[in-house]
Amino acid sequence: MIELFKLMRNKRMFMLMIGFILFIAVIGFSLSDRKELTWPEKFLKDTAAYVQQWFYKPAGYIAGFFEDIRNLRIVYEENEQLRLTAAAYARDKIEYNFVEKENKRLKEELSFTERQKEMYNYNYLIAQVVSVSNDANNRSLTINLGSKNGVRPNMAVTTIDGLIGLVSAVTPFTSTVTPITELDEASPTFNSIAVTILGREDDSFGILSSYNKETSRLLMTKIDEDDKLTVQDTVITSGLGNVYPRGLVVGTVESRQVGDFGLTLTATVELSASFDHLTEVFVVQVPELEDTEQ
Amino acid sequence: MSMNRIILLMLLLFIIEGAIMPWIIPAGFGSRIIPHFVFVAVVFAALYSGRHRALLLGVSFGMLQDVVYFGHLIGAHAFIMGLIGYFTGMLLERRRATLMMAVSIIGMACILYDTAIFFIYRVFRITSETYAWALLEHILPSLFLQLAFALACYVPARRLFEAQTKANPETEEE
Repeated sequence: MIELFKLMRNKRMFMLMIGFILFIAVIGFSLSDRKELTWPEKFLKDTAAYVQQWFYKPAGYIAGFFEDIRNLRIVYEENEQLRLTAAAYARDKIEYNFVEKENKRLKEELSFTERQKEMYNYNYLIAQVVSVSNDANNRSLTINLGSKNGVRPNMAVTTIDGLIGLVSAVTPFTSTVTPITELDEASPTFNSIAVTILGREDDSFGILSSYNKETSRLLMTKIDEDDKLTVQDTVITSGLGNVYPRGLVVGTVESRQVGDFGLTLTATVELSASFDHLTEVFVVQVPELEDTEQ
Repeated sequence: MSMNRIILLMLLLFIIEGAIMPWIIPAGFGSRIIPHFVFVAVVFAALYSGRHRALLLGVSFGMLQDVVYFGHLIGAHAFIMGLIGYFTGMLLERRRATLMMAVSIIGMACILYDTAIFFIYRVFRITSETYAWALLEHILPSLFLQLAFALACYVPARRLFEAQTKANPETEEE
């Protein structure tokens, strides 16, 4: 104890201790379950994003130009594939129109409420990425839409390829997206996402619980024992719980195993979206529903 | 005047590492090579301008990074950047570091910085990876980027910080 007091007499040691206590206090404050950011944070984030957007986009154009030249060779193959997809799309579109009309008629006949009808009517907001964090353990992205544009925390963010993350914090003009690679069961700051399999939406169920950075695969847990899930199935969000929208592509199943206790299955999922060189992303706006129906 | 210029240049570095570097790093290496240019500038400040200035720059730019890229917790970068800046300055500010010495100091400081940040996230259970994996996955690959940057900026950075110290020498209490 006396040794400690002797140490404390040293001014430098004393300042270090004060600094350390302050640091722990600030971390504790930021880890607590905050609904909103404080105004200095909002101001700093908005200012930084305002400046960064002048740099990110031109850099993207220049880099994109060189990439385009490299991609010239594979354009023909891609074109062939796209033509096939377009043909399939035209067929499906006709069928979709019939099904949609019928669905609408049935909803009318069953007298669905306005709330039930609007439940899956999602709005896709297009946003520009402004910057990417340079911290290996916190790869958050900043996008240029904020609470003034109707973005709220916990909204899903996708690219054309698939789900990339969730909005974790919003300021008036920007919002921070936590990528899906930060998903972790043990972490105090993240939620899990309910998913299902494309084509068997009613039969399959699983929860994306964590992302393994060492193998760069997502872990899907709590799958029923007699689920017919197979390798190469496409995993999509199920929208159960109505927090995250349904029907967003997450990735493909790579392997399935028996879970920890032998009662459920787990599967590893390969992400379909890539996190490098992002430009445009879509924020999926779930319709705001008044739960009170008076 | 000169201090203002240093702060302005460091702000520019901060913007470059967030907005331009993601495009320069080839696709597929985005999560492996991670720029920490502002931190390199803080170590330069510690070597050629004094420990108090390094502490001040480290804490303020670390805080800026913490707030702008807030994901899990605030304060980790500010604390570690300030601390490493201060102690590098304390050990080495009296000696005039040569190019080789400066680069090796920066290399060691970068490893120390990434390691400290990694363990802070480990303590708060935000990551669950092993240190050996983190070392090979991103700490060592990004070290090369930092060293290349330090080599490229050695001459202008040294001139800038030394001119700054000569213009208004710090009043040391020791």
